[in-house]
Amino acid sequence: MFSRERVTFNLKSETKKDVIDELIDILIADGKVSDKEAFRAAVLHREEEFSTGIGMGIAIPHGKSDAVNEASIVFGRSDAGIDYESMDDLPAHLFFLIAVPMESSDLHLRALSEISRNLMHKEMRDQLMSCQTYEEFINAFK
Amino acid sequence: MKIIAVTSCPTGIAHTYMAAEALQIAAKEMGHEMKVETQGSVGAENVITEADLKSADAVILAIDTNIDKSRFQGIPVVEASVKDAIKDAKGLITKALAAKPVSARVDYAEETNGNGGKSKSGIYKHLMTGVSFMIPFVVAGGLLIAFSFAFGIHAADEEGTLAAALMTIGGSAFGLMVPILAGYIAYSIADRPGIVPGMVGGIIANSLGTGFLGGLIAGFLAGYVILAIRKVIKLPKSFEGLMPVLILPVISTLVVGLILIFVLGGPVKSINDAMLAWLDGMSGTNAVVLGGILGIMMAADMGGPINKAAYTFGAATIAQGEPSGVMAAVMAAGMVPPLAIALSTVLAKNKYTLEEREAGKANWALGASFITEGAIPFAAADPLRVIPSMMVGSAVAGALSMLFGATLAVPHGGIFVLPIPNAVGNLPMYILAIVVGSAVGGLMLTALKKKKA
Repeated sequence: MFSRERVTFNLKSETKKDVIDELIDILIADGKVSDKEAFRAAVLHREEEFSTGIGMGIAIPHGKSDAVNEASIVFGRSDAGIDYESMDDLPAHLFFLIAVPMESSDLHLRALSEISRNLMHKEMRDQLMSCQTYEEFINAFK
Repeated sequence: MKIIAVTSCPTGIAHTYMAAEALQIAAKEMGHEMKVETQGSVGAENVITEADLKSADAVILAIDTNIDKSRFQGIPVVEASVKDAIKDAKGLITKALAAKPVSARVDYAEETNGNGGKSKSGIYKHLMTGVSFMIPFVVAGGLLIAFSFAFGIHAADEEGTLAAALMTIGGSAFGLMVPILAGYIAYSIADRPGIVPGMVGGIIANSLGTGFLGGLIAGFLAGYVILAIRKVIKLPKSFEGLMPVLILPVISTLVVGLILIFVLGGPVKSINDAMLAWLDGMSGTNAVVLGGILGIMMAADMGGPINKAAYTFGAATIAQGEPSGVMAAVMAAGMVPPLAIALSTVLAKNKYTLEEREAGKANWALGASFITEGAIPFAAADPLRVIPSMMVGSAVAGALSMLFGATLAVPHGGIFVLPIPNAVGNLPMYILAIVVGSAVGGLMLTALKKKKA
Protein backbone atom coordinates (compact mmCIF):
# COMPACT_ATOMS: atom_id res chain seq x y z
CA MET A 1 0.00 0.00 0.00
CA PHE A 2 2.99 2.25 0.53
CA SER A 3 5.66 3.03 -2.00
CA ARG A 4 8.81 5.13 -2.14
CA GLU A 5 7.17 7.41 -4.71
CA ARG A 6 4.32 8.25 -2.37
CA VAL A 7 6.23 9.21 0.76
CA THR A 8 7.45 12.72 1.40
CA PHE A 9 8.97 14.20 4.54
CA ASN A 10 8.76 17.73 3.33
CA LEU A 11 5.23 18.94 2.62
CA LYS A 12 5.16 22.54 1.41
CA SER A 13 1.50 23.44 1.92
CA GLU A 14 0.35 25.69 4.70
CA THR A 15 -3.41 25.24 4.58
CA LYS A 16 -5.75 22.27 4.79
CA LYS A 17 -7.02 22.80 1.27
CA ASP A 18 -3.54 23.01 -0.20
CA VAL A 19 -2.19 20.00 1.60
CA ILE A 20 -5.05 17.85 0.32
CA ASP A 21 -4.22 18.99 -3.22
CA GLU A 22 -0.52 18.40 -2.69
CA LEU A 23 -1.15 14.86 -1.48
CA ILE A 24 -3.59 14.10 -4.31
CA ASP A 25 -1.07 15.36 -6.87
CA ILE A 26 1.34 12.71 -5.63
CA LEU A 27 -1.29 10.05 -6.31
CA ILE A 28 -1.94 11.46 -9.78
CA ALA A 29 1.76 11.55 -10.60
CA ASP A 30 2.04 7.94 -9.51
CA GLY A 31 -0.94 6.91 -11.67
CA LYS A 32 -3.06 5.65 -8.79
CA VAL A 33 -5.92 8.05 -9.39
CA SER A 34 -7.32 8.76 -12.84
CA ASP A 35 -9.67 11.67 -12.16
CA LYS A 36 -8.33 14.28 -9.80
CA GLU A 37 -11.56 16.27 -9.43
CA ALA A 38 -13.70 13.24 -8.73
CA PHE A 39 -11.34 11.90 -6.12
CA ARG A 40 -10.89 15.29 -4.49
CA ALA A 41 -14.66 15.63 -4.27
CA ALA A 42 -14.82 12.31 -2.42
CA VAL A 43 -12.11 13.38 0.01
CA LEU A 44 -13.67 16.77 0.67
CA HIS A 45 -17.07 15.18 1.10
CA ARG A 46 -15.59 13.01 3.81
CA GLU A 47 -13.97 16.03 5.48
CA GLU A 48 -17.35 17.74 5.59
CA GLU A 49 -18.78 15.02 7.81
CA PHE A 50 -16.09 15.82 10.30
CA SER A 51 -12.43 16.63 9.96
CA THR A 52 -10.15 13.63 9.63
CA GLY A 53 -7.65 15.59 11.68
CA ILE A 54 -7.95 13.20 14.59
CA GLY A 55 -5.55 15.07 16.85
CA MET A 56 -2.15 13.94 18.11
CA GLY A 57 -0.69 15.58 15.00
CA ILE A 58 -2.31 13.10 12.63
CA ALA A 59 -4.64 13.63 9.72
CA ILE A 60 -6.00 10.83 7.58
CA PRO A 61 -7.96 12.31 4.71
CA HIS A 62 -9.49 9.50 2.71
CA GLY A 63 -11.81 8.91 -0.17
CA LYS A 64 -13.56 6.02 -1.85
CA SER A 65 -14.08 6.66 -5.54
CA ASP A 66 -14.30 5.08 -8.96
CA ALA A 67 -11.44 7.36 -9.92
CA VAL A 68 -9.05 5.30 -7.80
CA ASN A 69 -7.21 2.62 -9.76
CA GLU A 70 -5.64 0.79 -6.87
CA ALA A 71 -5.88 1.10 -3.10
CA SER A 72 -2.93 3.18 -2.03
CA ILE A 73 -1.68 5.53 0.64
CA VAL A 74 0.33 8.72 0.40
CA PHE A 75 2.34 9.68 3.45
CA GLY A 76 3.46 13.25 3.92
CA ARG A 77 5.05 15.03 6.83
CA SER A 78 5.10 18.71 7.59
CA ASP A 79 7.58 19.58 10.32
CA ALA A 80 6.13 23.08 10.55
CA GLY A 81 2.64 21.70 11.01
CA ILE A 82 -0.58 22.62 9.19
CA ASP A 83 -3.85 23.76 10.67
CA TYR A 84 -6.15 20.88 9.70
CA GLU A 85 -9.15 21.78 11.87
CA SER A 86 -8.08 18.91 14.06
CA MET A 87 -10.12 17.73 17.02
CA ASP A 88 -7.52 18.93 19.49
CA ASP A 89 -7.04 22.24 17.63
CA LEU A 90 -3.30 21.55 17.30
CA PRO A 91 -1.54 21.59 13.96
CA ALA A 92 -1.21 18.28 12.09
CA HIS A 93 2.20 16.96 11.10
CA LEU A 94 1.60 13.44 9.82
CA PHE A 95 -0.68 13.04 6.83
CA PHE A 96 -1.95 9.78 5.42
CA LEU A 97 -4.06 10.24 2.34
CA ILE A 98 -5.90 7.01 1.74
CA ALA A 99 -7.38 6.23 -1.67
CA VAL A 100 -9.71 3.29 -2.03
CA PRO A 101 -11.54 2.19 -5.19
CA MET A 102 -15.33 1.67 -5.01
CA GLU A 103 -14.81 -2.07 -5.27
CA SER A 104 -11.87 -2.88 -3.08
CA SER A 105 -10.68 -6.16 -1.72
CA ASP A 106 -10.97 -6.98 1.94
CA LEU A 107 -7.20 -7.41 1.98
CA HIS A 108 -6.65 -3.73 1.31
CA LEU A 109 -9.28 -2.61 3.75
CA ARG A 110 -7.80 -4.82 6.43
CA ALA A 111 -4.35 -3.40 5.80
CA LEU A 112 -5.78 0.09 6.18
CA SER A 113 -7.49 -0.82 9.39
CA GLU A 114 -4.19 -2.15 10.75
CA ILE A 115 -2.40 1.05 9.85
CA SER A 116 -5.17 3.09 11.48
CA ARG A 117 -4.82 1.04 14.64
CA ASN A 118 -1.05 1.46 14.66
CA LEU A 119 -1.34 5.22 14.58
CA MET A 120 -3.05 5.26 17.94
CA HIS A 121 0.19 4.15 19.61
CA LYS A 122 2.52 6.89 20.72
CA GLU A 123 5.78 5.03 19.90
CA MET A 124 4.54 4.69 16.35
CA ARG A 125 3.86 8.40 16.01
CA ASP A 126 7.24 9.30 17.50
CA GLN A 127 9.01 7.12 14.96
CA LEU A 128 7.06 8.66 12.11
CA MET A 129 7.97 12.13 13.32
CA SER A 130 11.67 11.36 13.35
CA CYS A 131 12.24 9.08 10.36
CA GLN A 132 14.27 10.48 7.47
CA THR A 133 14.26 7.74 4.85
CA TYR A 134 11.68 5.50 3.22
CA GLU A 135 13.33 2.48 4.90
CA GLU A 136 12.97 4.02 8.34
CA PHE A 137 9.38 4.88 7.53
CA ILE A 138 8.48 1.33 6.48
CA ASN A 139 10.27 -0.05 9.52
CA ALA A 140 8.01 1.91 11.78
CA PHE A 141 5.11 -0.27 10.61
CA LYS A 142 6.90 -3.52 11.26
CA MET B 1 -14.55 -4.64 34.90
CA LYS B 2 -15.42 -5.87 31.44
CA ILE B 3 -16.48 -3.37 28.84
CA ILE B 4 -17.75 -4.12 25.36
CA ALA B 5 -17.80 -1.56 22.60
CA VAL B 6 -18.85 -1.09 19.01
CA THR B 7 -17.14 1.39 16.73
CA SER B 8 -18.47 2.39 13.34
CA CYS B 9 -17.88 5.41 11.10
CA PRO B 10 -19.52 6.32 7.77
CA THR B 11 -16.73 5.22 5.43
CA GLY B 12 -15.50 2.49 7.72
CA ILE B 13 -11.93 2.78 6.57
CA ALA B 14 -9.93 4.46 9.29
CA HIS B 15 -11.82 6.01 12.21
CA THR B 16 -13.64 2.82 13.10
CA TYR B 17 -10.33 1.14 13.78
CA MET B 18 -8.61 4.10 15.38
CA ALA B 19 -11.45 4.43 17.85
CA ALA B 20 -11.28 0.70 18.55
CA GLU B 21 -7.56 0.86 19.20
CA ALA B 22 -7.88 3.99 21.34
CA LEU B 23 -10.49 2.26 23.50
CA GLN B 24 -8.33 -0.81 23.88
CA ILE B 25 -5.25 1.19 24.82
CA ALA B 26 -7.20 3.23 27.36
CA ALA B 27 -8.84 0.16 28.89
CA LYS B 28 -5.48 -1.56 29.24
CA GLU B 29 -4.03 1.46 31.02
CA MET B 30 -7.00 1.62 33.35
CA GLY B 31 -6.88 -2.10 34.04
CA HIS B 32 -10.21 -3.05 32.47
CA GLU B 33 -11.02 -5.79 30.03
CA MET B 34 -12.21 -4.43 26.69
CA LYS B 35 -13.64 -6.05 23.60
CA VAL B 36 -14.37 -3.89 20.59
CA GLU B 37 -16.52 -4.96 17.67
CA THR B 38 -15.60 -2.95 14.59
CA GLN B 39 -18.29 -2.37 11.99
CA GLY B 40 -16.26 -1.05 9.09
CA SER B 41 -16.16 -1.50 5.36
CA VAL B 42 -15.03 -5.12 5.74
CA GLY B 43 -18.15 -5.83 7.77
CA ALA B 44 -18.34 -6.60 11.46
CA GLU B 45 -15.18 -8.01 13.00
CA ASN B 46 -14.41 -9.25 16.47
CA VAL B 47 -18.15 -9.63 16.89
CA ILE B 48 -19.60 -9.41 20.39
CA THR B 49 -20.90 -12.80 21.43
CA GLU B 50 -23.64 -13.89 23.74
CA ALA B 51 -21.03 -14.71 26.38
CA ASP B 52 -19.60 -11.19 26.08
CA LEU B 53 -23.04 -9.69 26.61
CA LYS B 54 -23.61 -11.79 29.69
CA SER B 55 -20.33 -10.83 31.33
CA ALA B 56 -20.18 -7.19 30.24
CA ASP B 57 -20.40 -4.47 32.88
CA ALA B 58 -20.85 -1.63 30.43
CA VAL B 59 -21.21 -0.84 26.74
CA ILE B 60 -19.59 1.95 24.76
CA LEU B 61 -21.05 2.75 21.36
CA ALA B 62 -18.68 4.98 19.43
CA ILE B 63 -20.76 5.23 16.30
CA ASP B 64 -21.62 7.68 13.56
CA THR B 65 -23.87 5.20 11.80
CA ASN B 66 -27.05 3.37 12.73
CA ILE B 67 -26.49 0.09 14.44
CA ASP B 68 -28.86 -2.33 16.10
CA LYS B 69 -28.75 -1.57 19.80
CA SER B 70 -31.40 -4.02 20.94
CA ARG B 71 -28.86 -6.63 22.00
CA PHE B 72 -27.47 -4.28 24.67
CA GLN B 73 -30.76 -3.97 26.50
CA GLY B 74 -30.20 -4.05 30.23
CA ILE B 75 -26.50 -3.19 30.14
CA PRO B 76 -25.37 0.37 30.93
CA VAL B 77 -24.74 2.03 27.58
CA VAL B 78 -22.83 5.17 26.73
CA GLU B 79 -23.23 6.50 23.22
CA ALA B 80 -20.70 8.79 21.63
CA SER B 81 -19.31 9.61 18.24
CA VAL B 82 -16.24 7.90 16.83
CA LYS B 83 -14.15 10.98 17.34
CA ASP B 84 -15.03 11.12 21.04
CA ALA B 85 -13.47 7.69 21.42
CA ILE B 86 -10.33 8.75 19.61
CA LYS B 87 -10.10 11.99 21.55
CA ASP B 88 -10.96 10.84 25.05
CA ALA B 89 -11.28 7.08 25.33
CA LYS B 90 -10.59 7.11 29.06
CA GLY B 91 -13.35 9.60 29.68
CA LEU B 92 -15.81 7.38 27.82
CA ILE B 93 -14.79 4.35 29.84
CA THR B 94 -15.26 6.22 33.12
CA LYS B 95 -18.65 7.43 31.93
CA ALA B 96 -19.70 3.94 30.81
CA LEU B 97 -18.78 2.36 34.13
CA ALA B 98 -20.81 5.00 35.98
CA ALA B 99 -23.86 4.59 33.72
CA LYS B 100 -27.03 2.84 34.84
CA PRO B 101 -28.88 0.30 32.73
CA VAL B 102 -32.12 1.60 31.22
CA SER B 103 -34.02 -1.64 31.34
CA ALA B 104 -33.75 -5.22 32.46
CA ARG B 105 -31.21 -7.36 30.69
CA VAL B 106 -32.58 -9.54 27.91
CA ASP B 107 -31.11 -12.81 27.01
CA TYR B 108 -29.17 -12.67 23.80
CA ALA B 109 -30.71 -15.95 22.73
CA GLU B 110 -33.76 -14.02 21.58
CA GLU B 111 -31.74 -12.22 18.96
CA THR B 112 -29.79 -15.19 17.71
CA ASN B 113 -30.92 -18.29 15.96
CA GLY B 114 -28.09 -20.57 16.82
CA ASN B 115 -25.97 -20.33 13.71
CA GLY B 116 -22.90 -18.74 15.16
CA GLY B 117 -24.39 -15.63 16.71
CA LYS B 118 -25.71 -14.17 13.48
CA SER B 119 -28.52 -11.81 14.29
CA LYS B 120 -32.03 -13.06 13.65
CA SER B 121 -33.46 -12.75 10.18
CA GLY B 122 -33.83 -9.17 9.00
CA ILE B 123 -37.57 -9.47 8.58
CA TYR B 124 -38.08 -10.19 12.26
CA LYS B 125 -35.88 -7.26 13.23
CA HIS B 126 -37.79 -4.89 10.93
CA LEU B 127 -41.09 -6.13 12.32
CA MET B 128 -39.94 -5.60 15.89
CA THR B 129 -38.74 -2.09 15.15
CA GLY B 130 -42.14 -1.16 13.77
CA VAL B 131 -44.02 -2.83 16.60
CA SER B 132 -41.86 -1.24 19.24
CA PHE B 133 -42.62 2.24 17.91
CA MET B 134 -46.30 1.41 17.56
CA ILE B 135 -46.94 0.14 21.11
CA PRO B 136 -47.08 3.54 22.86
CA PHE B 137 -49.58 4.78 20.28
CA VAL B 138 -51.82 1.78 20.90
CA VAL B 139 -51.63 2.16 24.66
CA ALA B 140 -52.19 5.94 24.66
CA GLY B 141 -55.01 5.79 22.11
CA GLY B 142 -56.67 2.75 23.65
CA LEU B 143 -56.67 3.98 27.24
CA LEU B 144 -57.91 7.45 26.31
CA ILE B 145 -60.79 5.95 24.33
CA ALA B 146 -61.53 3.71 27.30
CA PHE B 147 -61.62 6.77 29.59
CA SER B 148 -64.12 8.31 27.23
CA PHE B 149 -66.39 5.25 27.58
CA ALA B 150 -66.20 5.68 31.33
CA PHE B 151 -68.36 8.78 30.95
CA GLY B 152 -71.08 6.66 29.44
CA ILE B 153 -71.36 4.74 26.24
CA HIS B 154 -72.81 7.60 24.23
CA ALA B 155 -71.07 10.41 26.13
CA ALA B 156 -68.62 11.03 23.32
CA ASP B 157 -71.47 11.72 20.87
CA GLU B 158 -72.10 15.06 22.52
CA GLU B 159 -69.77 17.65 21.08
CA GLY B 160 -67.71 19.87 23.36
CA THR B 161 -67.66 17.43 26.25
CA LEU B 162 -64.56 15.98 27.86
CA ALA B 163 -65.69 12.54 26.72
CA ALA B 164 -65.81 13.72 23.10
CA ALA B 165 -62.35 15.28 23.47
CA LEU B 166 -60.93 12.07 24.91
CA MET B 167 -62.45 10.14 22.01
CA THR B 168 -60.87 12.55 19.51
CA ILE B 169 -57.46 12.38 21.19
CA GLY B 170 -57.51 8.62 21.53
CA GLY B 171 -58.80 8.24 18.00
CA SER B 172 -55.99 10.43 16.68
CA ALA B 173 -53.41 8.23 18.40
CA PHE B 174 -55.12 5.19 16.89
CA GLY B 175 -55.04 6.83 13.48
CA LEU B 176 -51.25 6.98 13.71
CA MET B 177 -50.91 3.37 14.80
CA VAL B 178 -50.71 1.74 11.38
CA PRO B 179 -48.71 4.59 9.74
CA ILE B 180 -46.15 4.40 12.56
CA LEU B 181 -45.95 0.63 12.23
CA ALA B 182 -45.42 0.85 8.48
CA GLY B 183 -43.10 3.85 8.71
CA TYR B 184 -40.74 2.28 11.20
CA ILE B 185 -40.68 -1.09 9.48
CA ALA B 186 -39.53 0.80 6.39
CA TYR B 187 -37.10 2.82 8.53
CA SER B 188 -35.58 -0.37 9.83
CA ILE B 189 -35.11 -1.66 6.29
CA ALA B 190 -34.02 1.46 4.46
CA ASP B 191 -33.10 3.94 7.18
CA ARG B 192 -34.45 7.50 7.11
CA PRO B 193 -35.71 7.53 3.51
CA GLY B 194 -38.05 4.66 4.43
CA ILE B 195 -40.13 6.82 6.76
CA VAL B 196 -41.91 8.85 4.09
CA PRO B 197 -43.20 6.03 1.85
CA GLY B 198 -43.77 3.85 4.93
CA MET B 199 -45.93 6.35 6.80
CA VAL B 200 -47.81 7.49 3.73
CA GLY B 201 -48.35 3.84 2.80
CA GLY B 202 -49.62 3.20 6.32
CA ILE B 203 -52.16 6.01 6.03
CA ILE B 204 -53.31 4.65 2.68
CA ALA B 205 -53.61 1.17 4.20
CA ASN B 206 -55.73 2.74 6.95
CA SER B 207 -58.03 4.44 4.50
CA LEU B 208 -58.34 1.27 2.42
CA GLY B 209 -59.50 -0.49 5.57
CA THR B 210 -56.80 -3.13 5.46
CA GLY B 211 -56.07 -3.05 9.18
CA PHE B 212 -52.59 -3.67 10.51
CA LEU B 213 -51.88 -6.45 8.03
CA GLY B 214 -52.05 -3.85 5.25
CA GLY B 215 -49.70 -1.73 7.36
CA LEU B 216 -47.20 -4.56 7.47
CA ILE B 217 -47.40 -4.88 3.71
CA ALA B 218 -47.00 -1.11 3.27
CA GLY B 219 -43.98 -1.01 5.58
CA PHE B 220 -42.08 -3.82 3.93
CA LEU B 221 -43.03 -2.61 0.48
CA ALA B 222 -41.79 0.92 1.27
CA GLY B 223 -38.50 -0.31 2.71
CA TYR B 224 -37.67 -2.55 -0.20
CA VAL B 225 -38.82 -0.02 -2.78
CA ILE B 226 -36.25 2.42 -1.36
CA LEU B 227 -33.53 -0.23 -1.53
CA ALA B 228 -34.52 -0.98 -5.12
CA ILE B 229 -34.49 2.67 -6.15
CA ARG B 230 -31.03 3.07 -4.63
CA LYS B 231 -29.87 0.12 -6.73
CA VAL B 232 -31.49 1.20 -9.97
CA ILE B 233 -30.96 4.95 -9.99
CA LYS B 234 -27.35 6.02 -9.97
CA LEU B 235 -26.81 9.76 -10.16
CA PRO B 236 -23.57 11.49 -11.07
CA LYS B 237 -21.68 12.71 -8.00
CA SER B 238 -22.70 16.32 -8.44
CA PHE B 239 -26.41 15.41 -8.35
CA GLU B 240 -26.17 12.97 -5.47
CA GLY B 241 -27.64 15.57 -3.12
CA LEU B 242 -30.95 15.25 -4.96
CA MET B 243 -31.32 11.62 -3.95
CA PRO B 244 -32.49 12.02 -0.32
CA VAL B 245 -34.52 15.22 -0.76
CA LEU B 246 -36.16 14.67 -4.12
CA ILE B 247 -35.71 11.33 -5.88
CA LEU B 248 -36.15 8.88 -3.03
CA PRO B 249 -39.17 10.43 -1.29
CA VAL B 250 -41.13 11.30 -4.44
CA ILE B 251 -40.57 8.11 -6.40
CA SER B 252 -40.83 5.71 -3.47
CA THR B 253 -44.04 7.29 -2.17
CA LEU B 254 -45.55 7.27 -5.65
CA VAL B 255 -44.68 3.64 -6.27
CA VAL B 256 -45.85 2.46 -2.85
CA GLY B 257 -49.07 4.47 -3.04
CA LEU B 258 -49.95 3.23 -6.52
CA ILE B 259 -49.28 -0.39 -5.63
CA LEU B 260 -51.36 -0.16 -2.46
CA ILE B 261 -54.30 1.57 -4.09
CA PHE B 262 -54.48 -0.44 -7.29
CA VAL B 263 -53.19 -3.83 -6.17
CA LEU B 264 -54.20 -4.09 -2.53
CA GLY B 265 -57.29 -1.88 -2.53
CA GLY B 266 -59.42 -4.07 -4.81
CA PRO B 267 -59.06 -7.38 -2.96
CA VAL B 268 -59.58 -5.75 0.44
CA LYS B 269 -62.90 -4.31 -0.58
CA SER B 270 -64.02 -7.52 -2.22
CA ILE B 271 -63.04 -9.56 0.85
CA ASN B 272 -65.11 -7.24 3.01
CA ASP B 273 -68.10 -7.37 0.62
CA ALA B 274 -67.89 -11.12 0.17
CA MET B 275 -67.70 -11.71 3.92
CA LEU B 276 -70.71 -9.50 4.56
CA ALA B 277 -72.73 -11.25 1.87
CA TRP B 278 -71.69 -14.62 3.24
CA LEU B 279 -72.69 -13.65 6.79
CA ASP B 280 -76.06 -12.41 5.57
CA GLY B 281 -76.65 -15.82 4.02
CA MET B 282 -75.83 -17.48 7.34
CA SER B 283 -78.70 -15.90 9.23
CA GLY B 284 -80.63 -19.14 9.44
CA THR B 285 -77.81 -21.35 10.68
CA ASN B 286 -77.19 -22.68 14.12
CA ALA B 287 -76.61 -19.74 16.46
CA VAL B 288 -73.68 -21.33 18.28
CA VAL B 289 -71.88 -22.03 14.99
CA LEU B 290 -72.54 -18.47 13.84
CA GLY B 291 -71.12 -17.14 17.14
CA GLY B 292 -67.99 -19.20 16.65
CA ILE B 293 -67.56 -18.02 13.08
CA LEU B 294 -68.03 -14.39 14.09
CA GLY B 295 -65.41 -14.94 16.80
CA ILE B 296 -62.91 -16.30 14.31
CA MET B 297 -63.57 -13.36 12.02
CA MET B 298 -63.21 -10.76 14.77
CA ALA B 299 -59.74 -12.04 15.62
CA ALA B 300 -58.60 -12.91 12.10
CA ASP B 301 -57.22 -9.53 11.12
CA MET B 302 -58.15 -7.22 14.00
CA GLY B 303 -59.37 -4.15 12.18
CA GLY B 304 -58.93 -5.51 8.67
CA PRO B 305 -61.70 -6.37 6.19
CA ILE B 306 -62.71 -9.65 7.86
CA ASN B 307 -63.01 -8.11 11.31
CA LYS B 308 -64.93 -5.16 9.92
CA ALA B 309 -67.37 -7.43 8.11
CA ALA B 310 -68.14 -9.29 11.34
CA TYR B 311 -68.51 -6.06 13.29
CA THR B 312 -70.70 -4.41 10.66
CA PHE B 313 -72.88 -7.52 10.55
CA GLY B 314 -73.20 -7.47 14.34
CA ALA B 315 -73.90 -3.74 14.58
CA ALA B 316 -76.57 -4.04 11.85
CA THR B 317 -78.55 -6.50 13.97
CA ILE B 318 -79.13 -3.86 16.67
CA ALA B 319 -79.93 -1.07 14.25
CA GLN B 320 -83.59 -1.25 15.25
CA GLY B 321 -82.63 -0.80 18.89
CA GLU B 322 -83.36 -4.43 19.62
CA PRO B 323 -80.84 -6.28 21.81
CA SER B 324 -79.19 -8.97 19.72
CA GLY B 325 -77.34 -12.17 20.38
CA VAL B 326 -75.14 -11.59 17.35
CA MET B 327 -73.89 -8.26 18.66
CA ALA B 328 -73.19 -9.82 22.05
CA ALA B 329 -71.11 -12.54 20.41
CA VAL B 330 -69.22 -9.99 18.33
CA MET B 331 -68.32 -7.86 21.33
CA ALA B 332 -67.34 -10.84 23.45
CA ALA B 333 -65.08 -12.05 20.65
CA GLY B 334 -63.56 -8.60 20.23
CA MET B 335 -62.77 -8.32 23.92
CA VAL B 336 -60.97 -11.64 24.04
CA PRO B 337 -57.70 -10.97 22.12
CA PRO B 338 -56.28 -8.21 24.40
CA LEU B 339 -57.45 -10.07 27.51
CA ALA B 340 -55.96 -13.35 26.33
CA ILE B 341 -52.65 -11.65 25.59
CA ALA B 342 -52.64 -9.88 28.95
CA LEU B 343 -53.23 -13.25 30.58
CA SER B 344 -50.45 -14.87 28.60
CA THR B 345 -47.91 -12.15 29.52
CA VAL B 346 -48.67 -12.89 33.17
CA LEU B 347 -48.60 -16.68 32.77
CA ALA B 348 -45.30 -16.81 30.91
CA LYS B 349 -43.19 -13.76 31.70
CA ASN B 350 -40.16 -15.33 30.07
CA LYS B 351 -41.86 -15.54 26.69
CA TYR B 352 -42.26 -11.79 26.31
CA THR B 353 -39.90 -8.85 26.18
CA LEU B 354 -40.05 -6.28 28.93
CA GLU B 355 -41.80 -3.89 26.57
CA GLU B 356 -44.40 -6.51 25.71
CA ARG B 357 -45.05 -7.28 29.38
CA GLU B 358 -45.70 -3.61 30.03
CA ALA B 359 -48.02 -3.42 27.02
CA GLY B 360 -49.68 -6.58 28.37
CA LYS B 361 -50.79 -4.69 31.48
CA ALA B 362 -52.51 -2.04 29.38
CA ASN B 363 -54.22 -4.85 27.47
CA TRP B 364 -56.34 -5.75 30.53
CA ALA B 365 -57.97 -2.32 30.28
CA LEU B 366 -58.11 -2.33 26.48
CA GLY B 367 -59.71 -5.76 26.32
CA ALA B 368 -62.22 -4.88 29.02
CA SER B 369 -63.16 -1.82 26.95
CA PHE B 370 -63.63 -3.84 23.71
CA ILE B 371 -60.60 -2.17 22.15
CA THR B 372 -59.31 -5.12 20.17
CA GLU B 373 -56.46 -3.00 18.79
CA GLY B 374 -54.49 -3.64 21.99
CA ALA B 375 -53.65 -7.05 20.57
CA ILE B 376 -52.26 -5.66 17.33
CA PRO B 377 -48.64 -5.10 18.39
CA PHE B 378 -48.47 -8.70 19.56
CA ALA B 379 -50.15 -10.00 16.43
CA ALA B 380 -47.88 -7.94 14.20
CA ALA B 381 -44.76 -9.17 15.98
CA ASP B 382 -45.63 -12.85 15.82
CA PRO B 383 -48.70 -13.30 13.59
CA LEU B 384 -48.46 -17.06 13.06
CA ARG B 385 -48.71 -17.85 16.77
CA VAL B 386 -50.83 -14.97 17.99
CA ILE B 387 -53.59 -14.80 15.38
CA PRO B 388 -54.60 -18.50 15.49
CA SER B 389 -54.67 -18.42 19.31
CA MET B 390 -56.83 -15.31 19.25
CA MET B 391 -59.15 -16.85 16.65
CA VAL B 392 -59.70 -19.90 18.84
CA GLY B 393 -60.24 -17.85 22.01
CA SER B 394 -62.62 -15.45 20.28
CA ALA B 395 -64.50 -18.31 18.63
CA VAL B 396 -65.06 -19.92 22.03
CA ALA B 397 -66.30 -16.63 23.50
CA GLY B 398 -68.59 -15.97 20.52
CA ALA B 399 -70.03 -19.50 20.53
CA LEU B 400 -70.57 -19.53 24.30
CA SER B 401 -72.21 -16.12 24.23
CA MET B 402 -74.68 -17.48 21.67
CA LEU B 403 -75.13 -20.73 23.57
CA PHE B 404 -76.00 -18.88 26.76
CA GLY B 405 -78.40 -16.66 24.84
CA ALA B 406 -76.64 -13.47 25.90
CA THR B 407 -77.77 -10.33 24.11
CA LEU B 408 -76.45 -6.80 23.71
CA ALA B 409 -78.27 -3.60 22.82
CA VAL B 410 -75.31 -1.29 22.13
CA PRO B 411 -72.53 -1.62 19.56
CA HIS B 412 -69.56 -0.78 21.77
CA GLY B 413 -68.28 -0.13 25.27
CA GLY B 414 -66.97 -3.35 26.82
CA ILE B 415 -67.44 -3.59 30.59
CA PHE B 416 -68.72 -0.02 30.71
CA VAL B 417 -72.05 -1.13 29.25
CA LEU B 418 -72.43 -4.18 31.47
CA PRO B 419 -73.86 -2.29 34.47
CA ILE B 420 -76.37 -0.38 32.31
CA PRO B 421 -79.81 -1.87 32.95
CA ASN B 422 -81.15 -3.87 30.01
CA ALA B 423 -78.06 -3.35 27.88
CA VAL B 424 -77.00 -6.95 28.31
CA GLY B 425 -79.17 -9.99 28.48
CA ASN B 426 -78.02 -12.89 30.68
CA LEU B 427 -75.17 -10.83 32.14
CA PRO B 428 -73.45 -13.41 34.41
CA MET B 429 -73.21 -16.01 31.66
CA TYR B 430 -72.07 -13.35 29.19
CA ILE B 431 -69.15 -12.48 31.49
CA LEU B 432 -68.41 -16.19 31.81
CA ALA B 433 -68.27 -16.53 28.01
CA ILE B 434 -65.69 -13.73 27.82
CA VAL B 435 -63.63 -15.14 30.69
CA VAL B 436 -63.59 -18.66 29.23
CA GLY B 437 -62.72 -17.39 25.75
CA SER B 438 -59.86 -15.29 27.15
CA ALA B 439 -58.57 -18.20 29.20
CA VAL B 440 -58.63 -20.55 26.19
CA GLY B 441 -56.90 -17.99 23.93
CA GLY B 442 -54.38 -17.07 26.61
CA LEU B 443 -53.47 -20.67 27.39
CA MET B 444 -53.15 -21.59 23.73
CA LEU B 445 -50.93 -18.58 23.06
CA THR B 446 -48.78 -19.35 26.08
CA ALA B 447 -48.31 -22.91 24.85
CA LEU B 448 -47.42 -21.79 21.31
CA LYS B 449 -45.13 -18.88 22.21
CA LYS B 450 -41.44 -19.58 22.24
CA LYS B 451 -39.32 -18.81 25.27
CA LYS B 452 -37.37 -15.58 25.14
CA ALA B 453 -34.93 -16.60 27.85
